[in-house]
Amino acid sequence: MAPSQPAHVNLSPAELSFLRSSLSQTPPIRLDNTKGPRDFRSMIAEYDVLPSTNGSARIALEDGTEALVGVKAEVEKSQWRPNVEGRHTLSVAVGVDVDMADDDGQEGEENKGKGQNGWIEISVEIPGFREDDALPVFLASMLTESLLASGELKDRLYINQRFHWKLGIDVLLLSPPLSYPLALLSMTTHLALLTAHLPALKSEKDEDPLFDDDWDAAVPLYPKHDAQGGTNVDKPPIIVLAIAVGSNIIFDPCKEELAVADAVLAVGCAPSNASSTGARIVSIRTIDPPAHLTPPAVPNSMNSATGGVAPASTADALTQRELLSATGVWTPPRGGMKRSLISQVTSMVVGKGGVAEEVIAALQAIEVG
Amino acid sequence: MDHFSLKRSNAADRGNSNLSSKVYVRSTKSGKVQKIVRELYLRRDIPCSSNLCRACLDIAPKDYTNKTTSFVLSDTPAGSKNFPNGQYLVPDTNAFLTGMDLFEVETAFHDVIVLQTVLEEVKNRSLPLYHRLVALTKNEGKRFYVFFNEFRQETYISRETGETINDRNDRAVRQAVQWYNTHIKDAVKARSKKQLRVPSVVMITDDKENLRKAKAEGIPATKLSDFVSGLENADELLDMISAAQDQREVRSKQTQVFYPEHYSLSKMTTGVKAGTMHQGIFNVSPYNYLEASVHVPTFDKSLLVLGRENGNRAVSGDVVVVEVLPPEQWKAPSTKIIEEETLNKNDNAEIEDGETIISEKERKALQEEVKRAHGQSSEGKPQPTARVVGIVKRNWRQYVGHIDRESVRSTSKSSRQQQMVFLVPMDKRVPKIRIRTRQAGELLGQRVLATIDSWERDSRYPMGHFVRSLGELESKGAETEALLLEWDVQYKPFPKTVLDCLPAEGHDWKVPASTDDPGWKGRKDLRDLLVCSIDPPGCVDIDDALHARKLPNGNYEVGVHIADVSHFVKPNNAMDKEASQRGTTVYLVDKRIDMLPMLLGTDLCSLKPYVERYAFSVLWEITEDADIVSSHFTKSVIRSREAFSYEQAQIRIDDDSHQDDLTNGMRTLLMLSKKLKQKRYDAGALNLASPEVKVQTESETSDPVDVQTKKLLDTNSLVEEFMLLANISVAARNYEAFPQTALLRRHAAPPKTNFEELANQLKVKKGLELRSDSSKAVADSLDQCIDPNEPFFNTLVRIMATRCMMSAEYFCAGTQAYPEFRHYGLASEIYTHFTSPIRRYADLEAHRQLAAAIDYEPLDASLQSKSKLEGVCKNINVRHRNAQMAGRASIEYYVGQALKGKDINEDGFVMKIFSNGFVVFVPRFGIESLIRLRDLATPEPEAEFDAENYVLNVKGDVQRSVELFQKVTVRITDEVEESTGKRKVKLTLV
Repeated sequence: MAPSQPAHVNLSPAELSFLRSSLSQTPPIRLDNTKGPRDFRSMIAEYDVLPSTNGSARIALEDGTEALVGVKAEVEKSQWRPNVEGRHTLSVAVGVDVDMADDDGQEGEENKGKGQNGWIEISVEIPGFREDDALPVFLASMLTESLLASGELKDRLYINQRFHWKLGIDVLLLSPPLSYPLALLSMTTHLALLTAHLPALKSEKDEDPLFDDDWDAAVPLYPKHDAQGGTNVDKPPIIVLAIAVGSNIIFDPCKEELAVADAVLAVGCAPSNASSTGARIVSIRTIDPPAHLTPPAVPNSMNSATGGVAPASTADALTQRELLSATGVWTPPRGGMKRSLISQVTSMVVGKGGVAEEVIAALQAIEVG
Repeated sequence: MDHFSLKRSNAADRGNSNLSSKVYVRSTKSGKVQKIVRELYLRRDIPCSSNLCRACLDIAPKDYTNKTTSFVLSDTPAGSKNFPNGQYLVPDTNAFLTGMDLFEVETAFHDVIVLQTVLEEVKNRSLPLYHRLVALTKNEGKRFYVFFNEFRQETYISRETGETINDRNDRAVRQAVQWYNTHIKDAVKARSKKQLRVPSVVMITDDKENLRKAKAEGIPATKLSDFVSGLENADELLDMISAAQDQREVRSKQTQVFYPEHYSLSKMTTGVKAGTMHQGIFNVSPYNYLEASVHVPTFDKSLLVLGRENGNRAVSGDVVVVEVLPPEQWKAPSTKIIEEETLNKNDNAEIEDGETIISEKERKALQEEVKRAHGQSSEGKPQPTARVVGIVKRNWRQYVGHIDRESVRSTSKSSRQQQMVFLVPMDKRVPKIRIRTRQAGELLGQRVLATIDSWERDSRYPMGHFVRSLGELESKGAETEALLLEWDVQYKPFPKTVLDCLPAEGHDWKVPASTDDPGWKGRKDLRDLLVCSIDPPGCVDIDDALHARKLPNGNYEVGVHIADVSHFVKPNNAMDKEASQRGTTVYLVDKRIDMLPMLLGTDLCSLKPYVERYAFSVLWEITEDADIVSSHFTKSVIRSREAFSYEQAQIRIDDDSHQDDLTNGMRTLLMLSKKLKQKRYDAGALNLASPEVKVQTESETSDPVDVQTKKLLDTNSLVEEFMLLANISVAARNYEAFPQTALLRRHAAPPKTNFEELANQLKVKKGLELRSDSSKAVADSLDQCIDPNEPFFNTLVRIMATRCMMSAEYFCAGTQAYPEFRHYGLASEIYTHFTSPIRRYADLEAHRQLAAAIDYEPLDASLQSKSKLEGVCKNINVRHRNAQMAGRASIEYYVGQALKGKDINEDGFVMKIFSNGFVVFVPRFGIESLIRLRDLATPEPEAEFDAENYVLNVKGDVQRSVELFQKVTVRITDEVEESTGKRKVKLTLV
C-alpha cells in the first residue's frame, strides 16, 4: 500500500545510523536542534490568493516546500434518488432512537445525510509526477477520506432535491516533494476550505437555484458560528504526520528524519464537536517508512576488507545479520508499529492541548488575524 | 526566510492605486454559477467634457487623426432659482427610472451628466429605459454626457465592508458630483481670475437618505419634482413623472389587496421546467376584455384565462406564467361581448374604498358565462382554464387613449389641481390606466399618449403617467400619429447618419455610361429588352418590371427585373440598420412611411420608365404550357419602356389595335400567368379573400370622399403570378447555396382545430362540407361553398377561412426541417420574398444572398450567422404584422371619415354571433361591426341564443331571429362614442 518514496535520500548507512541514534535519545535531538519532538517547521500562510476561486490558500514551509490550493464550487444537477425522500418515513418506522440520534445537531437539519461522496473531488498535482502516479493518487485519496469522514461537509453541499454544489479542490505542490507533503497539503486545504465562500442562495426549497449576485453576501462554506451563535462549529480536518524512532514520537518530520523512521503514521483529525477542546480522529493510516528500502550497512565482521569474513551465500548473509545485535551499524527497520505506540501517538494528537488542536488554532488565527 | 505573497499588493500604495477589482456572482442561463473578478484599471484621462475646462482638453484621449471628441457640456448652462450661476445636472438612477419622459422633453433638461454608475444601474433595472437613455446621450441638442466615473481614479470608490451595493452606488454618485464641483471651480479659476459665474453640479435624486447625506457633505442636490417645479410649464412636466414611486408612499397606509402575489422568478422557472406551469404571451380577446388566452408550447389549443383575478395584473402582450385550474373551473369560451366601458362606467379613479377587483356587474357577467358553459356540455365543451401566477416580462409600451370624461372631477381649464383620472386606451384589450394630472381640463377631448408604470396588488387598475398630447380627437394628424404609435411604426424622419449613406450625386445619379465602370462589373446589359412595369396607379416606388419574348425554339423567355436595392444599401451601414429596424414600408391611406429614404425608394432604385436602372433579373425559359425549362439569375441594367397602371395595362392588352412588341409581350405574359395560376390551384393553392377597400380622397385636402372595394383585374394576377414564380425560384436557389442561413418565408398548415368551428357552422347552416386535411382539400371545398342566391357568400366564407389560417412568417432555413418550409397558402414547397426590396427588408436580404449565390459578391458575415438572421426574422415578422394592422386601422379611420354624416342602407352579412349581439360585415365598405342587442331596442330585448344552430331569437317588440350567414340590410350612420369621443361607424338592423 505504500507509495514509492518521492525523492531518494542520499545518505550513507553511517549517516543514517548516526541520525537514528540521535533521534532515539531521550530527549531526542532532531536535525534542527532547536526543535522539540512536537514542534512543527515554521511556515508562511496566506489565503484568498486566487481571486476567482471560491476559496484559496498558500502555505510555504521553511525548507522550501510550498503548496497552493484552490476551491471551486459549481452547481450541479443531482441524480434523482428515491430513497432520499423515503428516508424520513423510514426513520419513523424504525423507531424513536433514530430520531433522537438526529436531534443533537440543530443546524442544517434538513440537509442531514443527503450529501454524497461524489460531490467532493480532490486532485493533487506534484511536479515531476503524472496525475495517475501512485503518490498523487494516494495523497488525494487520503485527503478525500479525511474530508468525507465527518460527513458534515458533503451535507453542506446539498442545495435541494435536484441540485447540489460540486466542490472541486485543486491541490498544487509548487516545489519538488522534499519531504512527504501530506501534512502540508492537508493544512493548505484546511485553510482554503476555511476561507471558502458559496454564493448566497435566494430561491427556496426545490426551485431551480437562484443566487445573489453580490459576492459580499456569499456565505462561508464553514460557518464561523452555529445557529445559536456559538463557536462550536465544524471545521475542515487536518492530517498530522508523526514518526516513531525507537520509543520516541516525533511530529512533522523533515525528509531526513523520515528516512530513518521506524514507522510513519498519518492521523487525520477534526475538532471535536462535543467540546471546544481536543480533537477527534477522522482517519488514520500507516505509511511505509522509506527507511525500509535503504540498503543495510556492512559490519566489519562481514567485510573482508576490514578483516571480517564475507558470507559465502545470501542465506548465510541473512543468518549473520539476524545474529548481529545493535552494534551501531545501520540496519533498516523492519515490521510495523507497536499498538502501544499508536495509542500514544493518537493521544498526543487528539488529547486536550494536543498537536491537532494547536495546529487548527494556529490556522484559524491566520484567518482571524 | 523571505516574506513574499502571491497576492497583488495594493496595501503598499493605498489610495493611489490605479488598479482595482470588482467581484460578483454571475448565473448563466445553463444554470452555472460563477464568481467573476474584473480588474479595473483606473485612469486620469477621462475628461469632464465641460467646455469651461481646458485642463481636460489636454488630457483627453485622442483618436488616430489626433483629434479629441468635442466637449459636450455647455459653458453657459441654464440656471435656476437655487443655482443662478447655471447648473449641470447629475440625476441618479431613480431619477431616470421615474422621469425618463421628462428628460426627453426638448425644452428642458440640458447639460446632463450621466454617470456610468447610473447608466449601468438603469441597464440592470430596465432595458427599454436604458436604450432610451443611450439614445438621449446621442442627441446632440440635449447635451447629455456619459462620464465614466468608475474608471476615473478620483471618482472611483471601493465598496466598504457591510455597505450595500445601493449605498455604495449612491456614494459613488455623490463622490462624482463632489469631484465635478471642485473640478469645475478650478477650471473656471484657471480660465480667468475675474469670472465669477461658476456653474454648480447638482445631483437629482428622490432618495431621502441620499439627499440627507448630500446635505451633510455639502453637495448640491435637489429632488426631481422640486427641480421640475421651477421650470416653465411645470404642470405638464410634473404629469410626466412616473407614478410608480410616490404611489408606494401614499398607498402604504392602505392594506386592502386585490390581487394575489406573483410567484418568485425561481419558482416560476422551476415550475415551467417541471411542466407544472406554462409560459406564454397573454392575449386578451378583443371582444371580451375579461377573457384572455395564453398559448403555451405544451398544448395545441390556447389556455383560457377568465376574469381580472385570474389575469392577475397581466396586460395584453406580457409574457406570463400560468397554472392550469382544476377541471371543475373549466369553461367554454365566451359567446358574449363584454366591454369594459359598459360595465365599469362609474368607477371613480380617485377613490379606491370599497373597490373590489371584480365589480358586482363583472361578477354577474361571469356567472352567466359559467352557466352557459355548464349547459352546453356536448357542443361548446368546457376548455381548460388557467390563472396567471407571475409575469416573466412586462411588454408595456406607450398607449394612446383619451381621458375618460366621467373620471374627471373638475373640468375647468384654469384649475391646476392635481387629480386622478382614467385614460381609456384605444386598444380595447388594455385596461384603463389611472393617471395623475394637473391638466385634466385641457386633456379632455385630446388624444393622449401615456405609459403604465406599475400595477400594485392593492390597485384595481394600473398606474401610469402622461407622456404627451397628440392633439384633438378625430383630427387627422392626431389620429394618424395615434395609430402609428399604437402599431409601433417608426415614423420619425431619417437621421443624418442614414442620409449620409446615400450616393453623393443625389437625384443626378445615373447608370454609368461606360461599361468599363466598376458598377457594370458582373452585370448583364439588358437594355434592349422591352421591359415594362405594371403597378397600382400613382405608384412611385416601382420594385418590379417584366418582359417576355418568343425564342427561336418556340419557347418563351420571361424576365422579372427587380430594383437592385442591395447595390445602394450595403450591409451594416447606418441605412441598412435603420431599414432592418423598420422592416417594411407602411402604407396608410394618405401617407407612406418609407423603409428607405425617398431618394432611393422613389428614384434611384425605382424602375422608372425611360431611364436606365440597375436591376436584379430572374430569367426563365418557359414552354407554351408554362413549364419552366431553365431559370437564370443575374444582376443587370435595364431600361423600362413604360410604367402602366393595372387598368392601363388591361386596356392596352384588350385593345387589339395595339400590335407592337411590348403589348404582345404583355399578352404572352398574361397567357402564361393564367396557366401558371391554374397549375398553382391544381397543386392546392388557396384562393383566399380579405375585404379590401380603397378610399378615394380629394386630391388637395386628402379628405376622404368615397369608399370603393378594390377591383381585381387580370393584370393584377399577371404581376402576382410572376412575382410568386420569381420568389419561388430565388428561394430554391438561395436554399441550395445556403442550406443553413437562407432567409425564407413559410406558411404553416393550420391545426385542424382552427377549421372546426367554421366547418361546423357551414354544416349546420348550409349543409356544406369544409374539408381541411390538406390545402388542396380546403381549396376544393371552398370552391363548393356556393349559395346560388347569394354570389357574395363564397367570398364571405373565404374571408372567414382566411381568419382560421396561421400567419405566414419569415424564418432562417437552418431553424426548421425541410418539410416545415412549406407555404400552405401558395402550395409551394419553398418560398421567400424577393420582389419588393424597396419596401421590405426581407427581400433586401434575399437579394444579398442571391448575389452571393451567383458569385456576384461575397456574402456579408451578418447573413451567415444563424442567430443574427433569426433576430432579423423575428423583427421583420413583427414589423410586417404591425404594418398591416396600421394600414387596416388607417383605412378604418378613413372609412369612418368618409361616412361622416351619411345615412345609408346597405346589405350586410352576419359573420359571428354572440348571445347578446352579432357581427355584421358590409362588403361595400369592407367594414364589420358589432350590433348589440341593446342597440336593437331599449330596454334591451330578451333574446334566446341557440348556440348549436347559431341563431339568436330576439323577443319583445323586435321579434326577429338573426342567424349566421344571413343577409341583412343595415343602416349605416356614424356616431361619436360618448365615452371615447371617437367617431365610429354604427350599424343598425333595418
